[in-house]
Amino acid sequence: MPYYATSQEWLHQSSLLLEARPNTTRITTKYHISKPKPRRPSQKPTTSSSADASALPPPRGSLTLKTYDPHSGACLKYRTTKAAEVSRLILSLGRPLGGRMAALPPPEAADEVMADVLAGGEETVTKKGGEEVVVASSGGKPQAQGQGPQQQQGGGGGKGKKKRGKK
Amino acid sequence: MTMGRLSNDEFFTKLTELFDAKKGKDHGSIVLVQKRLSHDQPLPETTSSTMLPDLHPPRPMLVLIRATNAKGKERRQDKIKLSTIVEPDSLPAFFERYADVCKAGMTTLKPRDRSKRKGKAKKKKGAATTSAP
Repeated sequence: MPYYATSQEWLHQSSLLLEARPNTTRITTKYHISKPKPRRPSQKPTTSSSADASALPPPRGSLTLKTYDPHSGACLKYRTTKAAEVSRLILSLGRPLGGRMAALPPPEAADEVMADVLAGGEETVTKKGGEEVVVASSGGKPQAQGQGPQQQQGGGGGKGKKKRGKK
Repeated sequence: MTMGRLSNDEFFTKLTELFDAKKGKDHGSIVLVQKRLSHDQPLPETTSSTMLPDLHPPRPMLVLIRATNAKGKERRQDKIKLSTIVEPDSLPAFFERYADVCKAGMTTLKPRDRSKRKGKAKKKKGAATTSAP
C-alpha cells in the first residue's frame, strides 16, 4: 500500500478514510531505530577496526505513520526521518484526525484552511514525483575519504575552510 | 498480558520511561496506536433515517491510545503495553503533551540543521568520487 510523498497528502487521505469509517480506522505511529550500517566498508579496508567502531554513525531513526481500516483494507502510510516533523505530525493526529475519531464537529474555519493547503500540496506532489532534491555541486574538491561528515562539522574552523575552498 | 487502562498522566509517565529505555540503544521500535473506542459503546439502532449510525454518533466518542515496545512472541515477557482513554474534551491538551513526549523521546531522527549540512557534504563527496575517471 502506498507511501505518500508528503505529510499533507497522507493527512488528507487519512482524514477522508476516517470520515468514511470512523469506527474501525486506526492510526499506528511507529518509531523505529535501526542499526547503523558501516559506511562503505569496501573502500577503506586498511583502517583499523577500533577506529571503525568509534566512527560508526549514530543509529538512524524513522517515524512511520499508518492509517489502516481493517474493514475496507485501506492502508495509507507516510514515513519520515526528520525530527522537525514530529511535533507537527503528532499534533495532526490530535486535530483533525483525533477530532474525527471522537466525532467532534470539525471547526469550519480550520477546514477551509486545510482544504487550501491540501489543494496546493496535491499539485506539487503530482509535479514533483520523486522527493529527492538534487543539489548541483560545483566541482567540490575531493576530500580525504577517511573523514566522516561528523568531523567536517566539528567546529567553526571547518566551516571557514570550506568557504575558502569554494572561492 | 494486559495492564489496565492508565490515566492520561500515568500514561505519559510510562511512555516517557518507554522512550527513555530506548535511548542509547541502536535498534528497536515503539508503536503507538490510536482509534475510536467502539467497544461496549452503545449506538442507536440502524433505522431508515439513521443508515450508518457510526458516522453520526449522538455524542462525542472516546479515543483509545495504545503504546507498546513492539516485542514479538519470543520476548513476550519483555513486552510493555500501555493504554489510556482520552476524553473528547481533553483531546487538544492531550495531544500537546503527546507531541512533546514524542519529540523528546525520538532522539535518533535527523535534527534540522545537521541534516542540511550533512546532506550537502555527502552529495558533494558522492559527486566528486563518481565524476572522477
